Amino acid sequence: MSGVRAGRWLIAVPMAILALATIYPLVFTTNVAMKTRHEYILDRFSPAGALRWENVASAWGNAGMAGYFVNSLIVVSCAVALLLLFGSMAGFALSKLRFRGSRLLFLGILAALFIPFQVIMVPLARTMADAGLIDTYPGLVLAYVAQFLPFTIFLMTSFYAGIPDEIIDAARIDGNTLYGVYRRIMLPMGTPALLSVGILNTLFCWNDVLISLVMMPSAENRTLMVGVTALRGQYSDDIPTFAAGVLIAALPVLLIYLFFQRQIADGITAGSTKG
Amino acid sequence: MPIGSSTLSVRPDTARRTGNGKPRRARAERFAPYILVAPAVLIIVALRLYPLVRGVNFSFTGDGVLNGQLVGLDNYMTLFDDPLFRQAMRNVALLVLLLPVAVAIPGLLATFIYLRVPGHRLYRVVYFFPAVLSPVIVGAIFNLLLAYGGPFNTLLGAIGLGPVDWLGDRRVAMFTVVGVHVWATFGMALVVFLAGFATLNSSLLDAARVDGASLAQEIWHVIIPGLARTIQFVFVTTMIGMLTAMFGLLFVMTNGGPEGSTYLPEYYIWIQQGQMNRPALASAASAVLFVVMLVVGLLQISVLRRSGRED
Repeated sequence: MSGVRAGRWLIAVPMAILALATIYPLVFTTNVAMKTRHEYILDRFSPAGALRWENVASAWGNAGMAGYFVNSLIVVSCAVALLLLFGSMAGFALSKLRFRGSRLLFLGILAALFIPFQVIMVPLARTMADAGLIDTYPGLVLAYVAQFLPFTIFLMTSFYAGIPDEIIDAARIDGNTLYGVYRRIMLPMGTPALLSVGILNTLFCWNDVLISLVMMPSAENRTLMVGVTALRGQYSDDIPTFAAGVLIAALPVLLIYLFFQRQIADGITAGSTKG
Repeated sequence: MPIGSSTLSVRPDTARRTGNGKPRRARAERFAPYILVAPAVLIIVALRLYPLVRGVNFSFTGDGVLNGQLVGLDNYMTLFDDPLFRQAMRNVALLVLLLPVAVAIPGLLATFIYLRVPGHRLYRVVYFFPAVLSPVIVGAIFNLLLAYGGPFNTLLGAIGLGPVDWLGDRRVAMFTVVGVHVWATFGMALVVFLAGFATLNSSLLDAARVDGASLAQEIWHVIIPGLARTIQFVFVTTMIGMLTAMFGLLFVMTNGGPEGSTYLPEYYIWIQQGQMNRPALASAASAVLFVVMLVVGLLQISVLRRSGRED
């Protein structure tokens, strides 16, 4: 028995080292962001002399991260709101209402799940350009909605399928239209799934770089992640400011992770256990 | 979920709204399902399925002066003559070879966490954390860490190794990028594995332990067969991730270099479309990527299904 114990500790050591390796890069970056350029050149590892916010301020202001941040905020919140609305509507219909072609439709949406953006990026950019939507907020919002809608519908459909029909029947007997059922039953009861899929979609959209690069070519329309890549060229000789920019871009995601870990894990695993 | 209580809370709210013009409502209701799915269907058809068809069409037309003219398979010929694209396909093959490692790492870690190694609760939280970061952030951070005169080489130097030109050596760079990708994403697969473990019949493990099975035997004879579906899911999603989620890393860390050694199809598509202004050629590369993904996905599913049946 003690042999097994010792074995477990033996495994725990590399696992602890791996945990450190998981955290350290961000700790390092945070530390660099607090240093002066001089401090960084002298010694990369030493802790920063003080909590200095000059680099963060300069990345936010001079380097233009503030503008990129606002762009991201607008686009991501609109995209997520539309995703949740359209996803829950379709999920309700596909899980609870029997109508002609519903099975075929669900299969079609599943198939769309397996079309990566890279495969349709050239023609999609052209379609968007034809519609005058390239380099506009609505264009990028639509591109995100199209990209993540199949996944959203899939998750909402499987969640709604678990809601007992009796609840819907009761609401129908009470005189609700189907729209009433959607608004008064499906939306409130779907809150856990909506929260989970909403947070995942927020992460996907916030973290995206390729879709944004293709749909928003001009500099003033950059989203935050594209902004970070641009920062790298501008501040190649001022690493602390660059690190501060990276930190600004990562901060919202880190906060989301701290507060919504469970929802993120739920969303990711929902596909694996039900698919 | 407290289904009973929500049924009750729904009632008082809806009880007030009873009986109003039934026949007219019935007609309006017939269309309700279609209205509910309409926005989703419109968006998916217009912005995913139509572009897919349009892209395949594009790939048979020319670029530049031949814009819009049918050129048959010329783009595909150009593609397979292009050393950069061939390198991209070789790198795809490398990814397929590395796939078992990328699946085994989170699988093993999940097993240890499931078997409650000391600190397992903490690891679960910590390991997942890089998975929420954008590839751009991850790439930017590792650019700093892996620079030739950077901290990682300093560390290696302290124990008498290196320095290694992680991103500048054409034989090393692709492995570096894949390594960083695995670092950034293994937490995702870990969470999926742990969810799979939650469905595993633990009495089987107990029985194996009573019979004196070693850890390796437990993994081989109990855990792997018991998790066949989860493993299959992780294989497919990890491969899709490697083929479609590395653009950010490539864009920030290597730009496809040195000497094109870190090209992947997705990066090639972006370069041809955005930088070289050759959308038709890019479309052909897109079609190839799509076929690769289909083949890889179907192959894996059929292989794993067969091995699952033998058990």
